[in-house]
Amino acid sequence: MAATRVAIVLGVLAIAGVMAEAQSPAARNISGAWVPMGGGRGADPKIAPPPATPIVLKPEYAKAYEARRTAEAEAVKRGEPVATPAILCLPYGMPRMMTVASYPLEILQTAGQVTIITEAFSEVRRVYVDQPQLPIDEVPPGFYGHSVGRWDGDTFVIDTVGIKPSVLSYNMLPHSDRMRITERMRLVTPDVLHDQITIEDPVVLEKPFTYTLGFRRLPDYKMVEFVCENNREYIDEQGRVRMRVGGSQK
Amino acid sequence: MSFRRITGSLVIAFSVLAGGARPALAHHSFSMFDQAAPITIAGVVTSVEWTNPHVYIELDLTEPVKGAKHWSIELGSPSILQRGGWKFNTVKKGDKVSALVSPLKNGDPGSLLTRITLPDGRVLGNGGPAGVGPGTTAPNAGAGASSTLGR
Repeated sequence: MAATRVAIVLGVLAIAGVMAEAQSPAARNISGAWVPMGGGRGADPKIAPPPATPIVLKPEYAKAYEARRTAEAEAVKRGEPVATPAILCLPYGMPRMMTVASYPLEILQTAGQVTIITEAFSEVRRVYVDQPQLPIDEVPPGFYGHSVGRWDGDTFVIDTVGIKPSVLSYNMLPHSDRMRITERMRLVTPDVLHDQITIEDPVVLEKPFTYTLGFRRLPDYKMVEFVCENNREYIDEQGRVRMRVGGSQK
Repeated sequence: MSFRRITGSLVIAFSVLAGGARPALAHHSFSMFDQAAPITIAGVVTSVEWTNPHVYIELDLTEPVKGAKHWSIELGSPSILQRGGWKFNTVKKGDKVSALVSPLKNGDPGSLLTRITLPDGRVLGNGGPAGVGPGTTAPNAGAGASSTLGR
């Protein structure tokens, strides 16, 4: 009986220890450079990001989105890349900036603020910690909106509003000025970070959807500058993407 | 919510398996290049532009290819190339090089690099895999690697 009691006490202490560890400074240290982590087949299920939930657009938006995606697929088959804002060197904005191909991003934690800097297009987000969110209608619509964050145990929760509708959402989805982005960032191991992103938009979406990005820590990585100064791709009068050949105009 | 509204909705079933989100392309897709019909071009480098969103090498060919004596080669970005073992001065004006490239489908003398052979015999691809540090040469950084990176 005494042995059982000792075991129970030890068990409780162990659980408490784990919880303390989860909320320790190490569990909240997400500063540093991170590179998108591939998932899919063969990925380690212990650290791979979980699959996205279904995305359900309202009918009036679904029809236009489907037509656009079909037209884009046909254009790609013809050898004409889709004319996206990135062709014009416009930055991605939220939420797409959080993963651009294999480009790293850097997270900096300072007093009262978490700053996220992406390598592709040198985009910058500022997340104000433990501050109240503004009403959507008080945020000037932009690429990054207004973000506030707070720690919930070992998870950094970010709330973002104020993304302008011309900034495409996840998978090139449309969105309204009512979109709200909730992120839950958490270290699943000391060197693997997950960013669980939930998109709410009562105008465009039937219901919110959630997807998760995975990142691997890049120790000692020095971020490379990215100024889009020499863009040889352009959109011609037919809306096709072309490459200018024969050297730059510099 | 009415039945009609539900059936009228589009459920977008992305083929996302265990991997979560699929990375976006950084600048543009590869579809304007004919990756099924690569060609080799060789000559003297007339300029190297170590810039974003892409690095470019201009080449005066020893022998014309597809009727053109001068070709442009598009590469990944400086970030992507550094991870594949490149430096900003790996290729210089005046270097004699040969390159395996995917030409533009529209017939213009422009192309996407698959791999390049430098004057000293080194062979470099078009970038490195995610997370590989600068100065580390990717052993298989050819067409396969470049097709998933930095675009």
